[in-house]
Amino acid sequence: MITIRIAVGLLGCALIVTETAGAGPVDPAMVSHTCAGCHGTLGASLGDAPVIAGLPEQYFLETMLNYKTGSRYSTIMGRLAKGYSQAEIEAMARFFAAQPWTTQPQQTDPAQVERGKELHTSRACAACHGPDGTPSAPNPAIPSLSGQFAEYLVTQLEDYRDPGTAIPPAALPMRAMVQGLTDKDFRALGQFYASQQPPAANEQ
Amino acid sequence: MSDFNRRQFIKLVGGITAAGLSGLAFALPAKPKARVVVVGGGYGGATAAKYLRLFDPGVQVTLIEKARQYVSCALSNEVLAGDRTLESLTIGFDGLARHGVQVVHDEVTDIDAVKKQVKTKQGKSFAYDYLVVSPGVTFRWGDIEGYDEDATELMPHAWDAGPQTLLLKKQIRAMPDGGTLIITAPPSPYRCPPGPYERAAQVAHYLKAHKPKCKVLIMDAKSVFSKQTLFEQGWKQHYGDMITWVSSADDGQVFGVEPENGVVLTEFDEHKADVVNVIPAQKAGPIAERSGLSDESGWCPVDQRTFESTLHKGVFVIGDACIAGAMPKSAYAANSQAKVCAAMIAARVNGQAEPEPSYVNTCYSLIAPDHGISVAAVYRLKDGTIQSVQDSGGVSPTEATPQQRAREALYAHSWFRNIVGDIWT
Repeated sequence: MITIRIAVGLLGCALIVTETAGAGPVDPAMVSHTCAGCHGTLGASLGDAPVIAGLPEQYFLETMLNYKTGSRYSTIMGRLAKGYSQAEIEAMARFFAAQPWTTQPQQTDPAQVERGKELHTSRACAACHGPDGTPSAPNPAIPSLSGQFAEYLVTQLEDYRDPGTAIPPAALPMRAMVQGLTDKDFRALGQFYASQQPPAANEQ
Repeated sequence: MSDFNRRQFIKLVGGITAAGLSGLAFALPAKPKARVVVVGGGYGGATAAKYLRLFDPGVQVTLIEKARQYVSCALSNEVLAGDRTLESLTIGFDGLARHGVQVVHDEVTDIDAVKKQVKTKQGKSFAYDYLVVSPGVTFRWGDIEGYDEDATELMPHAWDAGPQTLLLKKQIRAMPDGGTLIITAPPSPYRCPPGPYERAAQVAHYLKAHKPKCKVLIMDAKSVFSKQTLFEQGWKQHYGDMITWVSSADDGQVFGVEPENGVVLTEFDEHKADVVNVIPAQKAGPIAERSGLSDESGWCPVDQRTFESTLHKGVFVIGDACIAGAMPKSAYAANSQAKVCAAMIAARVNGQAEPEPSYVNTCYSLIAPDHGISVAAVYRLKDGTIQSVQDSGGVSPTEATPQQRAREALYAHSWFRNIVGDIWT
């Protein structure tokens, strides 16, 4: 399949980018199963790579496209996202959005969880992320944090705080939100969300 | 192949249980849609077995694997460092049985591609409609003069995780401070291209703390190697001048060994070491050669769309043993190839069109406990061969902060947990 994308370059001239996405139509399962080696079968990670099963379709799509263009920093995802066409990323986004949010129990320290909960409350995180890390009403742009892996959440908070790290425009409010928080605060927040197992996570 | 999700999966199990077959996670239908035999329970074969069952529970899958437990080569260099036990790399096959895979512990000695059956050492035969062979690698004994199976007791290869890993570890532990370890690196292609260089780093990690006057010398049959810039940078950063790499262009290739004397011989020189780790040249596992699946290169040519052997129809070869275009011989590549192969077989069984293949590789190496590096690529089939997608993939950046290297170390361990979960559970 060949898709032609017209991009406007820095100098204002139109460039035609030809993208060869293979000879046949995109098979959603085929492209999505390539992720499982790092993100677990059907995206249900066993940690510390993030759970991607059940991410909102729009969030998944935007995340991958941001990795692809470099608007979101990553260690490895940028290199991988560049290998998939828009159509393939759209197929993956639908595939993973159709999976249930599947988390694993994580060892957490009660004192840290308590501290994280205080921060979650005092920083008004719940306004967007819901009382336990899951938005009260499904939001296509905001993933659930409940039960997500603590170590992964900490990396994301670090990226939000560091002004030299690329984050997408949609995440800019987070850059403001986390200023003044310490590494210790990040660990506490990570532990709090990790401890919030969504109800009946494994029975959906 | 239609979208598959856990909900449908559970529905299916529930349906069978409701039908009165409780106690069996999966009951096989009286007559399976097709019989698939998988030879080899490593990263490739075990993935193929599990995913065939996920794609179509109507397919009967029999996995034949000699070992009762699989020991992962990936991460086994951490055993040499002392940071990990061999037990933590040892995986059973119960998880596959829970997916309805029939696991048979036996060794396939003969493949009859005409009669479509395999024979085993224990005298059993298994008929198949499709055969998946994932035999891994074996060594080209004789390429290094003096290095044979007996010599591995004095100069371990440690390229199959298990007793050989522990032997090498023991020898390194017994080495005097100021001693030398020689690692001989093989010519391409071979299993785990960055493995010898990660091994040097992991051994140096142990030596730095316990015997800082020791040296590690890599004698190489190649003049370039995987993730070279990143390895050389990391070696220097953590271990100073402890590790020296000798290119084949500088007489690095080893042609002979004297196992009793700890001597390795190159074209112009000889080197004596306290411990010698010979990583021999490789080819596809024994059953491939014996059953005519490999060619004069020693590896198995396949249709890179489906992994069906070009030498024997109805037989599919995946993992290290097959010739898979631009894909390296890595655990992730085997896992990815197995899924493509399983999808193609499931499509054929159901008379559906074969889906467009998509392949991936991600490979982490650990230079120190908090210093990981990676190489990654996404592949497509183009002009009949597997090619990496242009302007994608590649290695970790040369310029990176310690925090970024630490994240890659975190993700290296995460990778192991998840790929093991994706395959054997």
